[in-house]
Amino acid sequence: MSPPAPTIAGTLWRPALGFAALALLPLVFREPFTLGMVTLSFIGAASSLAWNLSGGYAGQLSLGHAAFFGIGAYASTLLFLKAGISPLIGMWVGAAISAVSAAALGAITMRLKGSFFVMSTLAFGAVVHITAVNLRDVTGGSSGLAIPLQPSLGNLVFADKLAYAYVALGLVAAYYVLTRALAASKIGYALVAFRENDDAARALGIRTLPVRIGIFALSAAMISLCGTLHAQYFLYIDPDSVMSLNLSLNLALMAIVGGLGTAHGPIIGAMLVTAVSFAMQAYLGNQISGLTQIAYSGIVIAVLLAAPAGLGPALGRLVQRRLAWQR
Amino acid sequence: MDIYLQLALSGLFIGGIYALISVGLTLVFGVLRVVNFAHGEYLTIAMFMTYFLFHTAGLDPFLASVIVVPLMFLLGLVTERLLIRPTLDAPHVVQVFVTFALSVFLQNVLLALFTSDFRSVRTAYATAAFQIGPLYVSWLRLAAFLAAIALAVGIALFLKYSYMGSAIRATAQDRRSARLVGINVDRVYAITFALGCALVGAAGVLLSPLFPVNPYTGADMILVAFVIVVLGGMGSIGGAVLAGLMIGVVESFSSYFLGGEMKQFVYFICFMLILAIRPVGFFGRKGAEVMDVT
Repeated sequence: MSPPAPTIAGTLWRPALGFAALALLPLVFREPFTLGMVTLSFIGAASSLAWNLSGGYAGQLSLGHAAFFGIGAYASTLLFLKAGISPLIGMWVGAAISAVSAAALGAITMRLKGSFFVMSTLAFGAVVHITAVNLRDVTGGSSGLAIPLQPSLGNLVFADKLAYAYVALGLVAAYYVLTRALAASKIGYALVAFRENDDAARALGIRTLPVRIGIFALSAAMISLCGTLHAQYFLYIDPDSVMSLNLSLNLALMAIVGGLGTAHGPIIGAMLVTAVSFAMQAYLGNQISGLTQIAYSGIVIAVLLAAPAGLGPALGRLVQRRLAWQR
Repeated sequence: MDIYLQLALSGLFIGGIYALISVGLTLVFGVLRVVNFAHGEYLTIAMFMTYFLFHTAGLDPFLASVIVVPLMFLLGLVTERLLIRPTLDAPHVVQVFVTFALSVFLQNVLLALFTSDFRSVRTAYATAAFQIGPLYVSWLRLAAFLAAIALAVGIALFLKYSYMGSAIRATAQDRRSARLVGINVDRVYAITFALGCALVGAAGVLLSPLFPVNPYTGADMILVAFVIVVLGGMGSIGGAVLAGLMIGVVESFSSYFLGGEMKQFVYFICFMLILAIRPVGFFGRKGAEVMDVT
């Protein structure tokens, strides 16, 4: 007998259950330290979902996405500080700037594949970072910018940190749905076809260049919103925290650990990566400078060598093997 | 007028060392089709080795190369075996992230061991110079430049005339056919990667008396190396040398007229222009930038 055809309800109960579990997390972990961990893992998940659209589905591995994250953070913060414009509006300005600069960058670099594309995004990220550090009059340079603590919905500043967790979770849910919708659309299939074998895709008449540039811009705009949220959560930004190479690496890492080019991968990856980095900070602390980074990069290398397709699929296989064995 | 000549000369000298760094990077890419993002950290390691040999054993940097370069070759062999070979057939993203994570790892190990203090090798002859007409020429920079160019020419001759060199070129052209005619491709990969590390090690030795070193030195240099490798044409040694010299001169002029902070901008603009106008660089094989790992 053939397996029953998947129904809408049949395909949706698992993500619904997952998000219900995620919604419980901020209530379970109410301590400031653990709530911070949960909130940051949500912001990380949303950012990584944004990265994954271009990096995972389209296979355009970007190590410059922190630039768009930073543009979002700086655009909303500067508009608020200098012109008194609410971050609720400023975040869209940031997203628009990110999308336009991504489209411009993409128009030049999208012809490149593999390491060449990685290098061009790397250079882009480095230049935006340096600009933010050197434009001291506007961005405050390395000393950063502080947002005054004036809680109100219009300011997108909340007195209770719990609110940030749920705003971030809302963003995660929206990006998850968007990813699923895109992946199931003609665009999603075209991107995957191109990623897997561009010559074959071209031979079939799939023209992906405009689509890939569009997805790159969309992904930049999405991550830009995460940058605004990050700024509102910490009420402080500086170039190193919102546009460093490490941030770009982390976003990509979350997607890779959870499973590249899947909708749930970045969320799982963000949970794991954030938990590990918080645990290492708590236990290793800053006794010796760089120790956390050493452990972190060591783990990354070990994961890549042991499970190149990501921990998500590897864990899934492990569970299935256990189940099969029990039967 | 004199100032332009002086700027061109000092740019040319530093460009020679940039070229040597880039030759190692482009060689590894040409053969293994892997961009080693940790290439800069190998430069840093070599510079630290030279520093400690100078300060503990009193060894002159040029003499220290006899120890440092073979050690870097060994380090390259070990890295290839542990990290590169297991990921050669893995998806591209894994390759990028393995060498990237290695770069972060090495940088922070160096940071934990030596802190971020700058250390410099001060030789007695560092300031010795002679004059040709209106130009002042530093002996040290001239010697470093000549050594770098000699090494680049040496590696080109090695690739052209030795048996191993032919095997490396054959593998770069087509790894499957190379295997068919009896070339031990795994061995070629190991030696190529180790050669890349040895070359960047030699560049580190030559840089030591000119620049102070801290754990981030290599990361600062690697962006220049990327620009040079792309400009010269990925995998092309002659291209890397020519582009290295050019970028050295460009940097020398831009930091004089625009200031040191603008250096990175100028690289980036160059980089984007090259990619937009001629992504294969000077001597790159057409299609190298869109080539699959097969």
